[in-house]
Amino acid sequence: MTHARRLTLAHMWLAFAAFGVAVVLGVWQMWARSPIPAPLHTPDNYFLAVTAHGVSMAYVLPTFVVMGFGYFVAETALRRPLPFPAWGWAGFWLGVAGSVLAAATIFAGRASVLYTFYPPLTATPFFYIGLVLVVVGSWVWCALMIIAMAQWKGENPGKPVPLAMFATVANAVMWLWTTVGVAAELLFQVIPAAFGWVDTLDVGLSRTLFSWTLHAIVYFWLIPSYIAFYTMAPQAAGGRLYSDTMGRLTFILFLIYSLPVGMHHLFMDPEQSTGFKFLQMTLTALVAAPTLLTVFTITASMEVAGRMRGGTGLFGWIKALPWDRPMVLTTGLAFFMLWFGGGGGLINMSYGMNAMVHNTSWVTAHFHLIFGGTVVIMYFAIAYAIWPTLTGRAFASNRPLRLQLWLWFVGMMVMTLPWHYLGLQGQWRRVSEFNYADPNIAGWGPWVVVSLLGGLVLLVSGLMFLWNLFGLHRAPLAARLPDIRYALAVHPPVRVPAALNGFRMWNVVVAALMLLAYGFPIAQFFLNSPPEAIVHRTVAGN
Amino acid sequence: MEHADADPKVLDQPWRIWATAAIASVAAAGLLLGMIVLPVVQGRNAGISAFDAICRALGIQAGSPAMPQPPSAAQAIPVTQVAWSAELIRDLEQADRRNGEAIASQTCFACHGERGFAPDNRNPNLAGQSALAIYKQLHDYRSDSRFNDQMTPIAKALDDRQLIDVTAYYAYLTTGAIDPTTAQVGDEEIVRLVERGDQSRNLPACSSCHGRRAGGPTETPSLVGQNEGYLIAQLQLYRSGERKNDIYHRMRSVARQLTDREIARLARYYSTTLRQ
Repeated sequence: MTHARRLTLAHMWLAFAAFGVAVVLGVWQMWARSPIPAPLHTPDNYFLAVTAHGVSMAYVLPTFVVMGFGYFVAETALRRPLPFPAWGWAGFWLGVAGSVLAAATIFAGRASVLYTFYPPLTATPFFYIGLVLVVVGSWVWCALMIIAMAQWKGENPGKPVPLAMFATVANAVMWLWTTVGVAAELLFQVIPAAFGWVDTLDVGLSRTLFSWTLHAIVYFWLIPSYIAFYTMAPQAAGGRLYSDTMGRLTFILFLIYSLPVGMHHLFMDPEQSTGFKFLQMTLTALVAAPTLLTVFTITASMEVAGRMRGGTGLFGWIKALPWDRPMVLTTGLAFFMLWFGGGGGLINMSYGMNAMVHNTSWVTAHFHLIFGGTVVIMYFAIAYAIWPTLTGRAFASNRPLRLQLWLWFVGMMVMTLPWHYLGLQGQWRRVSEFNYADPNIAGWGPWVVVSLLGGLVLLVSGLMFLWNLFGLHRAPLAARLPDIRYALAVHPPVRVPAALNGFRMWNVVVAALMLLAYGFPIAQFFLNSPPEAIVHRTVAGN
Repeated sequence: MEHADADPKVLDQPWRIWATAAIASVAAAGLLLGMIVLPVVQGRNAGISAFDAICRALGIQAGSPAMPQPPSAAQAIPVTQVAWSAELIRDLEQADRRNGEAIASQTCFACHGERGFAPDNRNPNLAGQSALAIYKQLHDYRSDSRFNDQMTPIAKALDDRQLIDVTAYYAYLTTGAIDPTTAQVGDEEIVRLVERGDQSRNLPACSSCHGRRAGGPTETPSLVGQNEGYLIAQLQLYRSGERKNDIYHRMRSVARQLTDREIARLARYYSTTLRQ
């Protein structure tokens, strides 16, 4: 039982409560875009729902899962109490206040600007202030993670930081870098505009600043899943991690190559030149490296486990793996979705191919598959793995857990594969409905209905997930408190170079790469100030 | 990794050197390809000198080196001469409302009322409209983008300063609540048209531009409480193409899809509804 148990549970439950609301809205949105008439369907309601779905799924769910899981790892991997837990609570309540403020403005219909803001559209300023509070709360978490690791290193000089904690701090460091872009956009451009203090804003600059955040934030969401791949899945399979160094390299590569690459979201934007877009595309290609390293390392780790369990032959070890264990099953399902999602991502990041899929449903389908699929299914697995430690109770059976995970996988595949196809057919995104009477569009109908069916399966699975966790709280206390154990490496590290045990050098590298990739692209707006756009207020009276 | 006895500095040095070298070489390759090789090669196809192509790739010269711009003799004829700028909007906010009232009392009150409520149902109420909505129409009358026997000469007689002041006066007036006893609830079909549009006819929802929280053009007028006769006349003028000061044909393409009956019912809906 960890000391930060309540802190972790509070974060996780807040995240999953937001998830519960957002999953319902998501299915309704799919329905609204399908040929089947949906209740309450107006463009107003649709964009309100998309904003709520995006904010819940992209900001509230992952941020609080990352924070809660981080507190858990800091105590269980370092085997020492969390420093300054009161600050952790302060960060949590800031996040709660921010989430409630943002939710209130959205459901009052005063913030239907979607979760990526789209300036010069502006909503009520309190929407953005709510989101800023969530970010400030997460900065507290970053500080606590860095302090926890620094204190541990002080107490254990020369020893390698446990991989789970090293990765968590990599994420904290990355998040501090990541949020600079969106914080600058909100504080210096959007919030002053929303308050009416300025009449115009430079959309090129705000899009560039948002792109700074936009890709790295995805890796912020993703890293808990990778922590589970490296430190929980091999343990659950009864084996060992193939290489600890590969793990450290992976998280370092995520840190340095998730940041100077965001301009691949701006390939079709006019405000940046082709040279910088090409440079950032080149750097984006390197983000594939940590994923390929992970696929290799985790597959090798699973092979170690499979062979230790008596599996033989080229593929016999796969059959020998304990697929009945939720973490092992989820790792397999997540990898399967990662294969498709990652492939789609390679297409998105290619400057030329991006032109074909730009602003189509392909993009929406892609990020649902990679985030909603690979990442979120691993959040489920993490929750199932740590909930017994957090509550002191054990799941009576893994069967409902497995069923829930399978349903999520099936639902996500059924929803996103037709959605990708529709994108290739030219179906556009960010619209509230389609004219199925148009012969060019009528053919999309059946595919959208299939997607909707996938969405319904996801809804059932999402609610089952909440039910499974909720049920555990009501189960009898276990006689022996289950403890979490992280996977040992085949060759556990004794000493590692400083470069693989901290982030000093990598921060310098990130700074240099960011200066190279974003220095001039941002400076140009100040050197040669372009005409600005007139602020468009979507809320009357502001 | 297992060199337990190794000096940490010795262990660390090759990592620092090789990692830095690897990262720097990839970045350099990206720079070389993106800033020099591709622009020069592609620039040649577009008839651009190597120097210009590199400057464009860096973003210090406008344009992309990949394609020559096709020549065009087309002349743009804007449907309106109004171009929103921060200065114009500021002028509208800081206009002399009293001067506007003085001018309006001479030229506008007779048809649009002292408080912005037109006595004749065929004239528009101006109370509750934004300054941007009113200014756009006045300016359009003055520049012949919109024509009306009465309004065109009046707008032409005013200079821009006076136009702005009059605008500010009427924009200051509020609609006040519609008397709930006379309010009517729109029939389901019309409410649906207002809130959802009709995709089968490519009709967007009226409220997607005219609603309170709309993201439509900034000069879009409010329709709630507008006079029935005026609304019918304008939709008919848009439908026939006589009125054409709507950017991108927005209202002309909408009005063309509406039946007479729908126009009448929409006008009734907006003139009597309490909804925003």
